[in-house]
Parts: sequence; C-alpha cells; structure tokens
Amino acid sequence: MLQITNLTKRFGGVAATNDVTLTFAANTLTAIIGPNGAGKSTFFNLISGALKPDSGSIVFKGEDITRLDRAAIVQRGIGRAFQVASFFPSMTVAENLQAAIAAHRGQWADLTHRFPRQGVRERAMEVAEMLGLQDSADVLSANLSHGDQKLLDIALALALEPSLLLLDEPTAGMGPDERWKMIEKVQRLWRTQNLTLVFIEHDMDIVFGIASSIRVLCYGRVLAEGTPDEIRANPAVIEAYLGTPDAEDDV
Amino acid sequence: MGRIFRDIAIGILAIAVLAAVPHLIPGKAFQDFVIRCSSMALFATSLNLLVGYTGLSSFGHGLFFGLGTYSFALLMQRTGISLPMAFIATLLINAVTAVAVGAICIRLRLIYFAFVTLAMQMLMHSIIISWVGLTGGDQGLQGGIPRRVVAGIDLGNQYNLYIFAAVVLVIGLLIMRHIVNTSFGTSLRMIRDNEARASFLGIVVWRVKLTVFVLSAVFASVGGIVMSLFVSGAYPELINWPISGDAIFAIVMGGVGSFLGPTVGTMILLLLNDVVTRQTEYYGLALGIIILAFALGLRRGLLDFITERLGGRPAGGIS
Amino acid sequence: MDLDALLGCVTSSSCLVTQTTSGLIVGMLLFMVAAGLTLIFGVLKIVNFAHGTFYMLGAYIAYSAFMFTGSYVLGVLAGGLGMAIFGVIFERVLISRVYGANVLMQLLICYAVVLICDDLVKIVWGPDFYAMGMPPAFQVPPLFIAGGVVPPFYIMLIVVALAIGGALSLLLGLTRIGKIIRAAAHNPNMVSALGINTTLLYSLVFAVGGMLAGLAGGLAAPVRSLTPGMGFSILIESFIVTVIGGMGSIGGALIAAVVLGLIRSFGTIGFPLFTEGLMYIAMIIILVFKPSGLFGKEIV
Repeated sequence: MLQITNLTKRFGGVAATNDVTLTFAANTLTAIIGPNGAGKSTFFNLISGALKPDSGSIVFKGEDITRLDRAAIVQRGIGRAFQVASFFPSMTVAENLQAAIAAHRGQWADLTHRFPRQGVRERAMEVAEMLGLQDSADVLSANLSHGDQKLLDIALALALEPSLLLLDEPTAGMGPDERWKMIEKVQRLWRTQNLTLVFIEHDMDIVFGIASSIRVLCYGRVLAEGTPDEIRANPAVIEAYLGTPDAEDDV
Repeated sequence: MGRIFRDIAIGILAIAVLAAVPHLIPGKAFQDFVIRCSSMALFATSLNLLVGYTGLSSFGHGLFFGLGTYSFALLMQRTGISLPMAFIATLLINAVTAVAVGAICIRLRLIYFAFVTLAMQMLMHSIIISWVGLTGGDQGLQGGIPRRVVAGIDLGNQYNLYIFAAVVLVIGLLIMRHIVNTSFGTSLRMIRDNEARASFLGIVVWRVKLTVFVLSAVFASVGGIVMSLFVSGAYPELINWPISGDAIFAIVMGGVGSFLGPTVGTMILLLLNDVVTRQTEYYGLALGIIILAFALGLRRGLLDFITERLGGRPAGGIS
Repeated sequence: MDLDALLGCVTSSSCLVTQTTSGLIVGMLLFMVAAGLTLIFGVLKIVNFAHGTFYMLGAYIAYSAFMFTGSYVLGVLAGGLGMAIFGVIFERVLISRVYGANVLMQLLICYAVVLICDDLVKIVWGPDFYAMGMPPAFQVPPLFIAGGVVPPFYIMLIVVALAIGGALSLLLGLTRIGKIIRAAAHNPNMVSALGINTTLLYSLVFAVGGMLAGLAGGLAAPVRSLTPGMGFSILIESFIVTVIGGMGSIGGALIAAVVLGLIRSFGTIGFPLFTEGLMYIAMIIILVFKPSGLFGKEIV
C-alpha cells in the first residue's frame, strides 16, 4: 500500500527524518510512537506533501508520489488530520463537511453552480454520522467542544474517501474517558470504512490496545517495527523509550 | 435556484425604484450621488472578494479601478471602437494585468501582500504620471469621452448615465453575489479560514487566489469605467493611494462579513463626504472622529454589527 | 529619462558630492522614521500607519519651540519629547484596543489619527507653508568638498542621525530593557511568560518610536517646508525602507534608507518624473525575491 524508502529530511543540520524505510500494508491499523522530537509529525508531513524530502522515495499503490504536490497526493487517496484540530471555524459542521466534499469532487473551482451541489449535503450527513457528529451539524465549528473539533478534523479527512488515513495524535489534549471514546470511533472507522490507518499516539495503553502493528521512531530513525508483542519485547525500544518511566508525561 | 431568482427580483426592484426617484426628487445631486456610489460600491465589493471572502488584505486594489478609468478613457479617445467594445476591452486589459500582478503578489502573505499590492498601484501611478504623452501626466486625460450614444441611448445625458450606473451596479453585484455562493466561493472562505487545511483537502490554493484576484480586478475596473464616464476622462487621483484607502474604509465601515457591507460602507463614506464638506472646512477632523467612533465603538462594520444584533451568527471575516 | 545627465553627474566630482550628501540627509531622516516604524512592528506586530504624523507633529513642535526659545537644540528636543509622549498616549488610548485585530482595522484607526492631526495642525498653525530657516549657528558659508557644495547643517544632520542610530543599537544591544525588547520581538509569549510588564514595554516602544520620528521632524524642519500633509510622503518612503530592510531590522532600515535616499537624489537627475517609480520597483523586486526583506527574519 505505502512503501517508504530511504526517506530523509533535514532542517539545518538536524535530520528530522533520517533514512527511514518502512512499509504499511493495506487495511492495517498502525501506530507510530516515539519520544518527542522523534520526527513523527515530520514523517506525516512528508507523506502528505506538506514537506518535500531531501532524498528517498514514497510509493503509494505502486505510484511514486514523492514529488507530487498536496492536492495531487490528496487525489491519490491520502487524507490526514492534525495534532491541533484543523477546520474552518467560520462554518458550521455541515458546511465544513460539504466544503470538503465539494473539494474532493473537484468542484472547488466551480464558478457556475451554487454551493452545495447536488448530493453534497447528503454525503456530508453520512460522513457526520460516521463520527457521531450528526447532532452538531448546524453548530458553528468554532463553538464545538475540543473533542468534537478533533472529530470534525478527522471527518474532513474522511470526506475525501481516502484509502490511507493519517491521524496525528487523535487523542491529544483529551481526558482519559474522552480518549477512549475517540479511539473507539477511530477503531470502528478502520473496521467499517476499509481503510489503511496510521496514527501517532503517546498513550501506550491505547497503542498496545488497538494497533495491529507498531513503528517506533527515535531521532528521525526507525528504531523498531513489528506487532505489539514484538515491540514490547524489543530491548532497543525498552531502552530508548519504554524504559523512561515518565514517557507519557512528556506530551 | 430559488435564491438566485430572489436576488434578481430584488435587483430589478432596486433599479425600478431608482429609475422613479428622479421624477420625485428634482435636481442632479441625487443622481450624481448614485452614479458615484455605483462606481465606488462596485470597486469596494470587488475588494471585499479579496479581503472579506479570501482573507487577502490588498492595499493596492485602486490599481485596477484607476487602470479601468484610464484604459476606458484612452480606448474611447484614441481608437474608434464603440463604447461596448471599449468596455469589454477594458475588462480584458485589467484581467491580463491582474494575472501578471497577481502572479507576483499572491505568493506573499499578510502584511507583505498588502505592501506589494500598494507598491504595484503606486508604480502604475508613477508610470501614468511620467508617461505624459499618453496619459496627460498629472493633468490627466481631458477632452471628454466621445461616442457616448449606445443603441440610441445617450450616456452623455445625466439621467441616462444614472440609469446605466444603477444597472451596471446591480448586474455587477448579482454576479459577485453568485460567485461567492458557488463552490468556488466556498473555496475562498476555506482559504481565509484555514489555508493549510484547504490545501490538504485537495484545493490548489494559488489557483483559487489568482482567480479571485483577477475576478476582483475585473469588477474594480467596471467601477472605474462608470467613474470615467462620470468625470469624462481619467485623472491621476483615481489611481492614487487614497482611492484604495476609500475602498478599505468603505468595506471596514460597512462590514466585511456581509455581502452588501461594502455597498453600505460606500454610501456612508459618500454621505459623510458630501455632508461634512458642506458643514466644515475641517473634513479630516470630522471624518477621523467618526471613523474612531465606528472602529472603537462597533469594532466591526455596520452591517455585520446589525446582522449579529439580529441574532445571526458572527459574520466571520475580520477578527 | 535623461541618462546623459545622470552619466554627467556621476562622472563629475562636484555633482557626485552634492547629490550624495543630499541623498544621505534624505536617507538619514528616513532612517530615523523607519527605525521607529520597524521597532514598533518588530515588537508589537503593529504597522503604525500614523508614523508620518509623528514626524510632522515633531517638526511643527520643534518649529514653535524654536520660535519661542530661539534655541534650535531645544526645538529638536521638544519635538522628540513631545512625540514620545504623544506616542504613549496614542498607544494607550487607541492602538492598545486593536492588538490582534485585523490589520485593516489598525489601518483605519491610524488613518483616522492622520486625518485628525492634519486638520489639527491646520487649526493650530494654519494651512500655509512654514519655513523654519537655518538656525543662526548654521548660517555660515557652505563647505566645498571636491568641488561639491555641502552645507555644514547637512553634515551635522548626518552625524546626529548616525549618533542616534548608534545610541539605539547600544540601547537594544547592551541594556536590560534593550534585551527585553529584542526578546519581545523574537517571541512575545515568552516575554509575558517571564513576568515582564508588556503594557509598559509596549508603551515604551511607542515612546521610542515616537521620539525618533519627532527628532527626525525637528532635524528636518530647517531644510523642509512644513505643511499639514508632510507626514504622508515620508510615511510611504519609510514603509519602503522597512520592507526592503526587513521588517523589524534596524540595521536593515539604515542600509535601505541610505540606498533609497541615493536612489532619490540621483533618480531626480536621471529619471525626474519616475523617481518614485524606481523606489516602488526596488521594493517589488526585493519582496518578490526575498519576501522578508534584506535583513528580516525568514517568514514561513
């Protein structure tokens, strides 16, 4: 599905992503973990085209997407949500989703038809329902609760009908109860929407609870990859990461 | 669909009312006012496509208003083409100029975009001032606009020009209204709200920005054409920086979050202009105090203030 | 366009000296105004569109103080001090209400102040031109350097402006308050997190910016005619200077101001009608190739 080979990105002298080679199989639910500054967000930025790598390649469904721009990468079916919920605050939830769907359907440059065009409204409600946002459809998104804003961000990515969904810390800034509610929704999405899902997470209970496989990044390099059991037993990981008793507190 | 017809109906009604008014109120002051209003409101609303809808604060939009007056006046004076042809050619000249200017400007963000647009306008102003042979330099293009009779209607006649200005304004506003209501219009708001998110939803941001830049330049030049017909020529003041200042003033006063905000702001500006200059020689002092009262009292445009008070949601845009 | 005249000038030492010194005084005045502008922007991220008005009021106050006391030095100091106070009032009463607001709202408020002050000047001093005239100490024959005519006042002006610029750099570079100002320009949140009184800091920055513009107005008064609209052209030019030099960079402002002054003085010979156009072209080129200016921090 997604094949990353020797990917490197430097900022000044520091390699935020250093010779990373990873594969993500179709329909997997993969967690990316690693201490702060491990280059997790940079990695997402490279895949989604927000940053251009210095070297290496990204192949998605057999096509080299390394040099494509953001919009082209979105068209190939890669959607992403952000660590800080990213949406359109002057619009309602429904308008946010309609806008995303219109963009996905290539209507963003359409100067003839009124917005939203036929079918967009209905599709927006479907997407809202996937994440349980249907009751807030007419709420101004700026007024949503923090958790719902994170859901809206994910819903915007889902509106693109992606085959690969990248979630950057879906539970960031949430309390323990809220976290599990969020992660259950993420897990259900993955099961029902035929997605390949990659998420960055700091909460080890969540990571080991739901991920089918785990990649550990440290100082821009791949430290380990494998199933939760393999990662748990990996001495390098224990040394570098899990060994730190207060790793979770650094969030 | 229904809302388009409603908007068109309101437009036709507005033209009908305006057509009747001069028969009730004699004198040219009102007609003058409406013609100037039409020109400035088209210009201010076109600027609001950038400022209010896309979040691009241009300080140099007067470039296209002024270029509209000069290209139209020059085409009418120097070539033999008919008024409608000159009208269309002026729009084309502005569109082409806007592609070039926009391609340079839209790469820049926020205050840098504002400054480079202002520099572009002032550069055009300098060119016009120094190219005396073509533009008449600081004296402007005098000698009037010839061939004003279109389809048997003489636009040299004050009442005819007045109706023409009203019709152009209504059509211009309807088209811009339609633009902001399309999916493209939604793309503008997405870019204003969150440019990065818009790009991650597959919107090619620079293309949307350049398109709206060109569209707004074209509508600004329509305002310029009306002004050129009104003043029978083109003058450097019409492309100098205060003309951009007036438009910014109008949209901020009227409300960037409401479609008709800039039109309301234009009326406020012109009314203030006419009333205050009649009452006192200290126009700046009076206008300055009024601006401060508005800006610090309402903290938003008049129409935005009213819509919020009437229980609507925040109109968005400026904040 | 008159390239022959320009060529003639740059190859004649007398013309070269005369034009260079007149370019330098334009540049120095611009620098003082632009330094305040760029300082205010650097720390507060506010573009003070009323900065030219500070310069104008400084010149008028200096003129009146000079007429009253007969001392040019006191006149200039009065202009600087008056504008420092005015800057604080302006910041406290008006600008502090629009921190974080849209730049157009800030623009509008500054525009209102410009309109009000221009008319106030008309009311207090009248609408006519004023000429302060050379202060008695400088009513001496000009110097001749390499055949070029250089009034001693020009040399004084250049030296004083450089000294003020130097003092400002020392203030920013060495003193505690200077370090705080630079830190604030770099990261405003950190400064308030450190428990520094930002309200006081912002007023101080406006006081310094106002003072610089007021001093520039006072220094310019003998060589410029005083009119109610005189703040505007220097405002536009000092914007060009801050943009070219990099918004927030005082060193950049100095270099850009000198370059612009020279473009102006030589431009009037080579391109008499298009001098301003040259400045705008310079600004556009810089913005296109280096959006953050020659010495500005890179913007993302």
